[in-house]
Amino acid sequence: MTMVAAQDAAALEEVQTPAQTEAPRILSGAQALMESLIAEGTEVIFGYPGGAIMPTYDALFDYTDRLDHILVRHEQGAGHAAQGYARTSGKPGVCLVTSGPGGTNLVTPIADAIIDCTPLVCIIGQVKSTLLGTDAFQETDIIGVTTPVCKWNYQITNADEVPAIIAKAFYIAKSGKPGPVVIDFTRDAQVSLMSKSYEYKKVETLASYKPRVIPKDEHLERAAQLINNAKKPYILFGQGVLISGAQEELKAFAEKTDIPCASTLLGLSAMPIDHPNYVGWLGMHGNYGPNVLTTQADVVIAIGMRFDDRVTGDATTYIRQAKVIHIEIDPAEIDKIIKADAPVVGDAKETLKRLLPLVKTNNHATWRNEFKKYDLIEDQKITQRELNADGQIKMAEVVNMLSEKTKGEACVIADVGQHQMIAARYYKFKNPRSYIASGGLGTMGFAIPAAFGAKKGAPEREVVAFIGDGCFQMTIQELGTIAQSGLPVKLIILNNNYLGMVRQWQQLFFKKRYSFVELQNPDFVTIAKGFGIAGHTCSDRENLGESLDRLLQSDKPYLLEVIVEKEENVFPMVPAGAAVADIRLD
Amino acid sequence: MTTYTICVFTENTFGLLNKITVIFTRRRINIESLTVSETERQGVSRYTITIKHDKREEVEKLVRQIRKVVEVLAVFGYLDDEIVYNEIALFKVATPIGGKPIDIETINKIYKAWVVYWGLDYVVIEKAGNESEILDFFRYIKSYGILEFVKSGRVAVGKTPAGLVEYLPEEVHWEYYV
Repeated sequence: MTMVAAQDAAALEEVQTPAQTEAPRILSGAQALMESLIAEGTEVIFGYPGGAIMPTYDALFDYTDRLDHILVRHEQGAGHAAQGYARTSGKPGVCLVTSGPGGTNLVTPIADAIIDCTPLVCIIGQVKSTLLGTDAFQETDIIGVTTPVCKWNYQITNADEVPAIIAKAFYIAKSGKPGPVVIDFTRDAQVSLMSKSYEYKKVETLASYKPRVIPKDEHLERAAQLINNAKKPYILFGQGVLISGAQEELKAFAEKTDIPCASTLLGLSAMPIDHPNYVGWLGMHGNYGPNVLTTQADVVIAIGMRFDDRVTGDATTYIRQAKVIHIEIDPAEIDKIIKADAPVVGDAKETLKRLLPLVKTNNHATWRNEFKKYDLIEDQKITQRELNADGQIKMAEVVNMLSEKTKGEACVIADVGQHQMIAARYYKFKNPRSYIASGGLGTMGFAIPAAFGAKKGAPEREVVAFIGDGCFQMTIQELGTIAQSGLPVKLIILNNNYLGMVRQWQQLFFKKRYSFVELQNPDFVTIAKGFGIAGHTCSDRENLGESLDRLLQSDKPYLLEVIVEKEENVFPMVPAGAAVADIRLD
Repeated sequence: MTTYTICVFTENTFGLLNKITVIFTRRRINIESLTVSETERQGVSRYTITIKHDKREEVEKLVRQIRKVVEVLAVFGYLDDEIVYNEIALFKVATPIGGKPIDIETINKIYKAWVVYWGLDYVVIEKAGNESEILDFFRYIKSYGILEFVKSGRVAVGKTPAGLVEYLPEEVHWEYYV
C-alpha cells in the first residue's frame, strides 16, 4: 500500500464515523436556548410573552413536549413561582419574560431571590441590538437595573453565545451561595442562526468564580477545639442547611455533641420540630427561650445563616459573651455582622461531615433543659391563650389545626406579615423544605405565585399557603394561573381586615395612630369563583375543623377564607433595634 | 480618615465597571479616584481605586463584597506604605508675551516636571508623583496662571517581589482578610 492510498483509506474511515456523518445542527438563538434549558434539566418555565421575546416563544411552541410552560398573569408572578419551584425542588427556577416592563416587573422576585439565596435563571427579551440605547419601544437597560440585585447578569447579542452563556448561568445560579442570574436576550440574537453546529457543554468551573465547598482542616480543628471545650454551646442554623441538603449531618452532629439547635426563619424544617435537640425558632417573633438564651451561650455555632438583623436585634450587643464559629459558604458573610472567632468557609454538608469525627461525644442535658423553662413560660403566656381563645378565631388556631390534620407533612407557603410569623410558630414541620416564605425582602404578594411554583416543584406534596388579606390583593390575579394550571394548591386567607403587622407596630410604637391600615376588602370567595376556584368562608370556631377538611380533601385548587380576630398581635416580639434579651411576651 | 488603595483584577468584560462601582455606591463610600487598564496578562483588567475611610474593617468587608462579583479574579486592599503609587497631572500654563518667564530649570530639577507641549501663548507641563508632590507643584506654578489642570487616578503596584497578577487565579485572596 502506498502512503497516499493509506492516507485515503484512513480518510475514508474517518468519513464513515458517526460523528462525521451527523448533520450539523444549525439552530437559531431561540432554539439553542430551548436545547440548552433541556440540557440543564429544566422541566418547567414560568413566563409571560411579549414583543421582544416572541421569537423565543415561537421556538418554545416546538418544545412543549419537553418543556412545560406556565403562563402567569404578571411577570412578578413568574418570578415568585420560580422561587417556589426552586425552594421545593432544589433546582433553579426558570423565568421567561419580555423586555421593558416585562423585565422591570421581574425585578422584585430577583431582589427577593438574591437575599434569600434562591437559584433562578431569568431570561428577559431585549430589543434588537441595533436599537440598544435608542429609547426604543419597550427598551430598558435591564443589565443596569438588575446589577445590584442579581448574582450575575449578561446580555446575549449573538446566537453563537447562547449555549456557553446558559451553561454558565445555571452553574452560577446553583453553585456556592445560590442566587438569581439574568440573561438579557436581544431579539436579533433570538432570530439569527448560529454560525456553527450547536453543542452544549455544562460548566463545572470558572476561572474567576470558585466557591469553596471543602473547608480547610485547620479551620475545622480550631472550631472543634472550641466546641469540645464549651460548657453551653448553641447551634443557630439557617437555610444553608437546606440548600446543601445537610439535614442528616446536622442531626448527627447535634446528637453526638448534644448541643441545642435553633432555626432561623428560613432554616425552619431543616430539623424536625420534635427532635430532642431542637429548641425552637430565633428572631424578632421567634420563640422565647432560643432568643433569651443566646445571651448565655459560651460558644455559638452558626451554620448556613447570615445574622440578619431580624435575628440579632441590636447587633452591637448580640452574643458578645460567646465565641462564634461561623460555617458559611460565602466568605463575604464572615464578620459582616458578627465577628467570628473561628470562621469556616465551606458548604454546610461537607463541613459538618468533616467536623463530626473531630468533635467529642458529649452531654449537655442541663443546658438543654434550660430552654424548657422558657418554653413553659411561653406556653402559659402565649400559646395556651392563643389556642384556647374565646370570641373570634385566632390565626394560631388555624395553623395549629392544619398542622395536626396534615401531621406536619405539608409544604407551608407563607406570605408576609403576622400570618407569616404565626405559620412559622405553630406549624410542626416534619420534613425539609416545608416552610417557604419571603424572608429577607419581605415581599407581600409572594405566596399565591410561590404556592403554585412549589406545587410544580413537589407535586406529590400537599401545598398550603397562608396569606393575609392585604398580601392576597397584591398578586390576586395569579388565581387565574392556578385555575388554568389546575394545580391543587390550597390557599388559606387569614382575614383580619387590616394590614396586621403594620397595625401592630402602630399600636405598640405609634400610639395607636392607625394610619391607612384598614382595608375595604372584596368578597374573596366570589372572586375565586370568578376565576373558577372553589372556596368558602369560615368565621365560626365550630366550623373550622370541617372547613380545613374540605380544603384538604379537594383534589382541585381551593380557597378557604378564615375571618380571624381583628386586632391580634404577634408575640413574642423583639422590638426593632432592641437586644434579643429584651424580647416581649405581651 | 485613612486612604486605602484597592486593586481589583477582573476579566476584561463589558459592563463590569458598573458592577464594581455599584458596590461602593450602595455602601455610601465615595470613590476618590479610579483607574482601569489591561494588565500584562491578556484579558485581565486591573482597577486601581482609592477611597478614604475611618474603619479598616469596613474596607475589608467592602473588599470581600467586590470579590463576590463573578468576573472578579482577585482583590487586594492596601495602605499607602504597602504600595508604590503615582498619579499624573497636566498643567496648561499661560505664557503671554511680556508675562513672567517660566523657569524651566526649577521645573525640571526641583519639581521633576516636564514641558510636553509648547503652544503659542501657553505650555503644557506634565508632573507625575504622589498627591502631595503634585500639590506642591500646583502651588508653585499657580502664580504663572493655570489655564487648565487635570489629574489622573492613582496607579499602584504592591511592594511584593512578584507581580500580584502572578497569583491569579489562585484562591488566596480572601484569606488576607480573615
